Amino acid sequence: MRLRRQKSVISRRVAVASATLVVLSVGAAACAGPDDKNEAGGGGKPQQGGTLTVLNSNPQSDFDPARLYTSGGGNVPSLVFRTLTTRNREDGATGTKVVPDLAESLGKPSENATVWTYKIKKGVRFEDGSPVTTKDIKYGIERSFAAELSGGAPFLRDWLIGGDKYQGPYKDKKGLDSVETPDDQTIVFRLNKPVGDFDYVATQTSFAPVPKAKDEGTKYEEHPVSTGPYKVVKNSGDGERLQLERNPHWSAKTDAERKAYPDKIDVRSGLNSSVINQRLSASQGADAAAITTDTNLGPAELAKVSGDKKLAAQVGTGHFGYTNYLAFNPKVKPFDDPKVRQAISYAVDRTSVINAAGGSSLAEPATTFLPNQKSFGYTKFDHFPAGASGNAKKAKELLKEAGHKDGLTITLTHSNDKNFETSPEIATALQDALKKAGITVKLQGLEDNDYEDKVHDAKDEPGLFLAHWGADWPSGGPFLAPIFDGRQIVNDGYNFNSSFHNDKSVNAEIDSINKLTDHDAAAKRWGALDKKIGAKALNVPLFHPVYKRLYGKDIKNVVISDWTGVLDVSQVAVK
Amino acid sequence: MSEALLASETPGAGATKAPVPASGARQFWRRLRTQRAALVAAAVVALLVLVALAAPLLTALEGQDPTSYHPGLVDSARGGVPVGSFGGISADHWLGVEPQTGRDLFARLVYGARVSLGVALAATLLQIVLGVAVGLASGLGGRWLDQTLSRATDVMVALPLMVFALALLAVIPSSVPRPVLVALVVGFIQWGGVAKIVRAGTISLKSLDHVAAARLSGWGGVRIARRELLPALAAPVITYAALLVPTNITVEAALSFLGVGVKPPTASWGQMLTSADVWYQAAPQYLLLPAAALFVTVLALTVLGDGVRTALDPRAASRLRIGTGRKREGGS
Repeated sequence: MRLRRQKSVISRRVAVASATLVVLSVGAAACAGPDDKNEAGGGGKPQQGGTLTVLNSNPQSDFDPARLYTSGGGNVPSLVFRTLTTRNREDGATGTKVVPDLAESLGKPSENATVWTYKIKKGVRFEDGSPVTTKDIKYGIERSFAAELSGGAPFLRDWLIGGDKYQGPYKDKKGLDSVETPDDQTIVFRLNKPVGDFDYVATQTSFAPVPKAKDEGTKYEEHPVSTGPYKVVKNSGDGERLQLERNPHWSAKTDAERKAYPDKIDVRSGLNSSVINQRLSASQGADAAAITTDTNLGPAELAKVSGDKKLAAQVGTGHFGYTNYLAFNPKVKPFDDPKVRQAISYAVDRTSVINAAGGSSLAEPATTFLPNQKSFGYTKFDHFPAGASGNAKKAKELLKEAGHKDGLTITLTHSNDKNFETSPEIATALQDALKKAGITVKLQGLEDNDYEDKVHDAKDEPGLFLAHWGADWPSGGPFLAPIFDGRQIVNDGYNFNSSFHNDKSVNAEIDSINKLTDHDAAAKRWGALDKKIGAKALNVPLFHPVYKRLYGKDIKNVVISDWTGVLDVSQVAVK
Repeated sequence: MSEALLASETPGAGATKAPVPASGARQFWRRLRTQRAALVAAAVVALLVLVALAAPLLTALEGQDPTSYHPGLVDSARGGVPVGSFGGISADHWLGVEPQTGRDLFARLVYGARVSLGVALAATLLQIVLGVAVGLASGLGGRWLDQTLSRATDVMVALPLMVFALALLAVIPSSVPRPVLVALVVGFIQWGGVAKIVRAGTISLKSLDHVAAARLSGWGGVRIARRELLPALAAPVITYAALLVPTNITVEAALSFLGVGVKPPTASWGQMLTSADVWYQAAPQYLLLPAAALFVTVLALTVLGDGVRTALDPRAASRLRIGTGRKREGGS
């Protein structure tokens, strides 16, 4: 049980990381939308045909719907795997909506949002022509419980009745009783607690159908059976190169979301990020019709690109729900004192932190823990106004009240990885700002793996460190609950509640909001909860990243939703 | 080395005082003076050392310091590229500012010189002390001690410095002051060359009359080493050391470049290079400044080292030049 818990949490962390990667992309093009500032190369309507190249640094490893951990079904994975629901493929905020995919409509909740019923569309087929039934979806979900197919999202394990004990279909032939298929078109989920966000959860690739007869266990990833517009023709080097071609049995009639303009998609990974950006800006040969789904522009690259009008037009901008913050461990002195935490909140210089993260085009100042997007329930507040460059005077006053009139020496833990979010550059910017408030900051830089292990280890957690959090879906629940729900403190294994915050009224409010199936009503209350928790100064929100990505000069129809913040491969045209 | 050996054979060697340093030093200067390149290099090195020593003064003169952020001097919307031409060069910032932070580049460069030169000199000193100690003990000691120390030296020579230093520096907790640590690690790994030279020198010196005489008159090992061997070994060791300094500078730069050397906010040239490498197109001076500083320093030290070797051992130098011809001659 403990091991299982640990595992699921680790995968959640990985998931968040990969979600960010999957999510970032650039959009460019002719889509209208309030947020659409991306003008693509050629004009005219997008046409079918051609080959789209995807240049990535990370391979599409373990390309199996049970093993992928994605936000909203992922970018490349969603070309092959259709799920019960999916994200709305539109620009900006409307892209944070969840819409039916295989299902006819969104789920019907009952029994206090603990039972969710879906009916699936008729006429959806696998790539071999056989019809998709809810039994295939149930089987796909059961596979994600198998120990040998690890890596997927942990939520169903935690929430389906009996999910904590179920071993997967290979060991347990009887199947999982809490997923019912009364007929081939209906599927019912029985949960151990209310989950108002279940429609969002059903976008994950574990909700993709898998035909039992074609399941080859761990080998299934070499040729997963497609339901999407493309099928896998060749998968070499564990997803290093993934070649996709049209799936003749997919029909746009049953799929309103995926446009699928190109005939072929060639995903090439293992490339250095600067090589990817260099190739996209040169746009020569096949690279003219290329995009990346995991590589952002760095500050230096942005400086170069923004000085070149032609290149600047090939940059897509997106926002993903993500917050970078300074985390306190109130178990470590002097951070047990709220006044010290408040003083630090006042002292931070968000301008220099944002510059260290790549500048105002790549990061926006954050004073709330929730991302600055409506779908999360963003409620504007600034409990400890530091202004643009820190309020050293107010910080000094608070330190004096806390009994540190001669200043304070503290240690800030960061990663040595050059990632522009937990890296030495951000730490030194903070060090410089806190110096003005009489706080001497010692830097403790750790190798990235050590850093990740240490900051998530309840027993070894440093007093002050750079942290970040991204949600699995655009709602306040997955953003706040793992960080502030006292029942989610993990003493052995990966812990995300780094402030060890355990407040009965907050826990009760989380439970109460989770019962809501009206996303707008829930969002309002998540926002209010964020404001309430924010007053405790358990962390210092620093910035929300902005994603800027290049795409090749022939790329058209760039769509970037606020769900993923990156260009949606399923919408891109190359002709 | 033979010149050095000859020098130590000058009259009165076995007596009260070794005359080598005095006359040797005078001779050394005379020979060094004739090499123009070495003199220029020496001037450059002296200037660099002066700059490093006077870093706080120089930055005070400029009115800047190496760690203060100036967010107003970078264009945040464009990734933090310095505002103004040539990387934001102005009367206040003589060499412009660092992208993203706006820290003063001149201040970082001169403070970086302290780290680069300081670490390299300290590491070299350590290498010499260790190498001479091991070499002497090996040369003067019994067979067993010699064998043990020689094998240990072989191991140290065979050890891939960068790989070993990377591993070591990554493991040691960051609470240890980084420049000191880098100097220690480099010093403790790379003394094998000095030890080998000193051992070989000691063994050939041991058989010379004046050393044998000293031995027969009952001198102890330490006294023999100090009075008879070290003066004679000074020349080859100094020559070797002069070439170790630039090597150590590049090692420190490489380690900092790879992220295991000095830690931010301390400036070092290697660390500047690592944050500058992505900026080579958008803010070229940011990369060029530390690169040029490293290049000039290493070149000057190498030329100076070469000059020192020639001055200490002109025969060795000329033999090197004639050597090729002789090789052809005596090909059989």
